[in-house]
Amino acid sequence: MKTKTLQFKTFDDITLWNNLKDGDEKSFSILFEKYYADLVNYGNSLSSYTEKVQDCVQDVFTDIWVYRNGLQSSVVVKAYLLSSVRKRIARLYERDHIFRKSTSTDAIAFLLEFAVEHDLIDDDYATREKVVHLNKLLNDLPPRQKEALYLRYHQGLTVEQIADMLDVNYQSASNLLHRGLLTLRKEWKGSISLIVVLSSIVC
Amino acid sequence: MQKRNKYTEIEDFLSDESFQSWILFKIDEDGWEEWTLESRQRAKLVEDARLLLLAIKAPETNLSSSDLHNALQTTWIKIEEKENQNNLIQDSKVKFLRKKIFSSVAAAIVIGLISIWFYQNQVGPESKVVTYKELIDENNEGLVEQTNNSNKPQIITLSDGSSVLLQPNSKLSYPKIFTGNERKVYLSGEGFFEISKNPKKPFFVYANEIVTKVVGTSFRVKAYSDQPDVEVLVRTGKVRVKSNELVSSSNQEEVILLPNQALRFLRSDLSFNKITNITEDETLTRNVGNIEQLSFEFTDIPVAQIFETIEQAYLVDIDYPKDKLKDCHLTTSLSDQPLTEKLKIVCNSIGNNTSFQMNGNQIIITSQGCN
Repeated sequence: MKTKTLQFKTFDDITLWNNLKDGDEKSFSILFEKYYADLVNYGNSLSSYTEKVQDCVQDVFTDIWVYRNGLQSSVVVKAYLLSSVRKRIARLYERDHIFRKSTSTDAIAFLLEFAVEHDLIDDDYATREKVVHLNKLLNDLPPRQKEALYLRYHQGLTVEQIADMLDVNYQSASNLLHRGLLTLRKEWKGSISLIVVLSSIVC
Repeated sequence: MQKRNKYTEIEDFLSDESFQSWILFKIDEDGWEEWTLESRQRAKLVEDARLLLLAIKAPETNLSSSDLHNALQTTWIKIEEKENQNNLIQDSKVKFLRKKIFSSVAAAIVIGLISIWFYQNQVGPESKVVTYKELIDENNEGLVEQTNNSNKPQIITLSDGSSVLLQPNSKLSYPKIFTGNERKVYLSGEGFFEISKNPKKPFFVYANEIVTKVVGTSFRVKAYSDQPDVEVLVRTGKVRVKSNELVSSSNQEEVILLPNQALRFLRSDLSFNKITNITEDETLTRNVGNIEQLSFEFTDIPVAQIFETIEQAYLVDIDYPKDKLKDCHLTTSLSDQPLTEKLKIVCNSIGNNTSFQMNGNQIIITSQGCN
């Protein structure tokens, strides 16, 4: 079912990871270059301090290298990295709000705005309209649902990994996703027919 | 690829990696395009899934390759710094700790072993040893001094609600009322401090050559005259320790301690040694007091038992209406709270008609029973 490219990607990650564990600087650098931008993007969705986010991501990599002997050998590297970045930003928040007691990551809100990537939609005007409209609906979802959808379908994490990251059980994570999509579909159904009618008139 | 024939929901498509790579990367290895066209109903579903997948796209910050290169360089520098720092700590010679910010203190327990005023006599008058007496003379806030000459710890409540459990043969000087923007107390001997939280008014414990700064937390400082060093131990949260300006005005060494880290200050050469693993240090583990071993996390616990824990921790007597409170259970977290705060929380949790009075080691609770 999986495409070869995706299979190759995961295989590659774990090889790099284990080389890194054995002290291979090259593998470390490759992983860094591969994921840095993506992690910064994700981090920016959790905090508006771009500089601190970069700092956090660098610290995550720093710790990975410094404590490489203690790393587990069977991890999904991407999920591990995303989760580490999330935790670190949560810690940053905790430190900034002096006496916030909980270390839970609930406190951080997902700020990311979904947006159309223009080069992806080379289709007709109508498609673009619809995607823009969906963007808006997505952005109106509660932050947790939004983040779950982002992690599931943008970052490609599994429901288990999302549950782990958001510190909830499997069922709750799956509910977040389900509720998000349900709202979308309901809202969408109402408006999409209108768009379809409109576009058919135009044609 | 038989699975997809059973797809009925958008979710089915969204989580299909092959479908994802078709939509997002335009890699159609499994003939999605053809498959989609097989049925009109299917085409509709696929279209919806496609739009949604396109919409769950986030804008990417584009980092140039030089940005990326710089970030990687910075990370290697950070790694080097951290490794150096770790090595230094292993050598337990931390002369210089470049910690950036002392941003906040959540909660901390500090144990310090401070050798005190008799030491001056051993070292001689010309040395830069700072004494309790000198420190007190510096202060002009009109201090009150309390000395514990008994053989049991004594509880002192400060004007800001903080409490200090003063150990035998110890003394504490403190202003009757804290004025100004800082709270300063002076210790000689040993005390367990629980500081009421007030980030605007940091709390300083002056103990000979070192100053421990916290914003609100609990910690213990212990001092014996025959020991040539000062030790500080953090249980939770963060604490900043530096040497007193009276000792070193030029090189302000400052150490930030995190939970389960300790610091030993050698008076002979004015150096700080950071200890990152307190369990490996016998002196420190041996000196853990009663109050640090007791848990103040209560889940559905009889009030009587909570009072008993408080009595044990602070060596106080609590008098309360046993009959009226015998069926009362509480779930509460009293860690990191000064004694008065603990009592306030317990009383409020029991009910509105419950209050406490404190008189030295005697605490009297009046209550009409719980809600």
